[in-house]
Amino acid sequence: MTSLSWKVGAVVAVGVGVTDVVLSAYQGVTLSDLVVGTAVNAVTISAGLVVWASRPASRMGVLITVWGICGFLADTVGLLPDSRLGATVGLPLVLLPSAVYAHMVLAYPTGRLVDRVDRAAIGVIYAAALMWSLPLLIGSNPSGCTDCVPGVPSLLFIGQIGPLRTIGQGFSALFIVLGAAFVCLVVRRIRRASPGVRRTLWPLALAAVFGGAQFIARSAANLFGFASWQETLLWLDRASGVAVPIALAIGVLTTRRARGPVGNLVVELGNVQPGGVRDALARTLGDPTLELALWLPDRGIWVDERGRAIAVAETSSRAVTLIGDDLAAIVHDPDLADQRSLLEAAGSAARLALENERLHAELRSQLDELRASRARIVRAGDDERRRLERDLHDGAQQRLLGVGLVLQLVRARVPDGEAAELVAEAESELREALRELRDLARGIHPAVLVDQGLGSAIKTLAGRSSVPVRVSTDGERLPPQVETASYFVVAEALANIAHHADAGHVDVTVRRENGSAIVEIRDDGRGGADATGSGLQGLADRVKSLDGRFSVHSPPGSGTCVTAEIPCG
Amino acid sequence: MRKRVLIVDDHPTFRRFARRLLQDEGFVVVGEVGDGASALDAVRELVPEVVLLDVMLPDVSGLDLAEVLASVAGAPTVVLTSSRSASDYGTSLEGSSARAFIAKGDLTGAALRAAVTLQ
Repeated sequence: MTSLSWKVGAVVAVGVGVTDVVLSAYQGVTLSDLVVGTAVNAVTISAGLVVWASRPASRMGVLITVWGICGFLADTVGLLPDSRLGATVGLPLVLLPSAVYAHMVLAYPTGRLVDRVDRAAIGVIYAAALMWSLPLLIGSNPSGCTDCVPGVPSLLFIGQIGPLRTIGQGFSALFIVLGAAFVCLVVRRIRRASPGVRRTLWPLALAAVFGGAQFIARSAANLFGFASWQETLLWLDRASGVAVPIALAIGVLTTRRARGPVGNLVVELGNVQPGGVRDALARTLGDPTLELALWLPDRGIWVDERGRAIAVAETSSRAVTLIGDDLAAIVHDPDLADQRSLLEAAGSAARLALENERLHAELRSQLDELRASRARIVRAGDDERRRLERDLHDGAQQRLLGVGLVLQLVRARVPDGEAAELVAEAESELREALRELRDLARGIHPAVLVDQGLGSAIKTLAGRSSVPVRVSTDGERLPPQVETASYFVVAEALANIAHHADAGHVDVTVRRENGSAIVEIRDDGRGGADATGSGLQGLADRVKSLDGRFSVHSPPGSGTCVTAEIPCG
Repeated sequence: MRKRVLIVDDHPTFRRFARRLLQDEGFVVVGEVGDGASALDAVRELVPEVVLLDVMLPDVSGLDLAEVLASVAGAPTVVLTSSRSASDYGTSLEGSSARAFIAKGDLTGAALRAAVTLQ
């Protein structure tokens, strides 16, 4: 805060005070009214100017200053000698400070009304504050009324109008409603604010609720004519006016004090685990909604701490603070933007940890990319297998079947003898070739898996196995890539059992558990299987490409259990 | 009495040789078509007694078509065939309304006759 702004504030305070004193002396106002009125206006305008000078980016200073000036004008015009000009200017000014006050409270701490409902409410409040005096200006002639201020009609006076009292009562009722709406909006604001902002907001909110309540009481007293309340209410009005600068001061001090946690942040970051910087910053800044974005210059993208690409953009509900040159960004509650120094301090403190966090995020991002590409390669391989199987089926297999039919025709046409024997031999060879081709196609990609799912495909495998197999599946269809991987796990395991295990019996179980398919092949053979053999290793790779887990438990002499756990996405 | 047969298969080579083989072995082949929709039309028009039906057609599964054919007036006897073996179809052949399944490699007039006369 510059010393100049303090000086300007002090000069204005003195100026306002002197003006009040002169006018009061002229009107013969009581000493207590004079002291309180002067203090409120002078302090408010000075505070507004000081805030304006020290935080030019925030509109708060402007609002506080305008509020003070309106208050000063309203009081001063009230003190002017009765004149028709004074009455014309003075009446519309009476409620304007209250409207500016409401505007200021709802716009705190940025000075901007972000919320649509808030904006609409403030619009109505300004309109009501200006309109209420219009019927009085046109139709009220207080001549002869001793306790009326002003005591003369305005320049706009046309004539006394009958329903004036009713209109006045209507406005009093409207003011009660607006007062209640204002209190509700303040409470809503507090409830919605992040803890960090709430810490700064609550003193003003408390003062505002008090101010709103006394405004409602004042309007109610006007409406129901409780004249005896007026004196008390006037003092409450003054008190609520004084409460605001105090609340603002507490708010500013709280913001200052909040710099304390930056020290804690530094300590915390010393022990932070990868991925923990966001939480530490969120705690320090009191904004649980805070998001951390890390810039990966090589790839030219923002990622979160898990390495996932994210978009970083400033919106009406999210503000962005950049840390370092191309290092990181904090996406946070826009109300925190008013605490720029705290944000910057926290960002600086976290810089080293953020460098580290970025390396981790980059690594995770590369791992994700690697995992995705591995899954893509396996999927492409599966697609290729399916195509190959289809080609064999539609091409070579069909032609050989045709040849078989032709040979049958030939056999019927040649007499018994050497030629007939040769044809029979050719038919036999052909049948064998077709069987081998069918087995090959089935090994490349089993048609039954696509048509009928894993359960049927495993039962088909079991049917061909030389070792008795008991199959237990729940028959539920799984995603295609999970079914394919599961099928090949079972097929390879059964082939291994047939060749090496010397087993008497095999149990194959497929079940779904916690969103994953669990495939288990357990035999009672000799155990001691080599899990690093190319067949099992290939299966492990295939399962892991789907983020699954693959294990072989094979103690010598106690059978083998192959388990694959594959997430079903 | 020679049985009237309709051959439904999307492979022309197979249709051609199957027609000659079956005719050689005492069947009357009343027609041959390559997809499910034509098969339905041909059955209504030609009223065959036997339909030799491929399990995998381009527009419809032979298993589904067999169900449809079972409900047409004068439903023909359906015999499914495929270049794959029966075990490749798991359990789905069991509930089918087709009379029998003959792998293409095993197709002969005798096999078809035996399948048709199955009760």
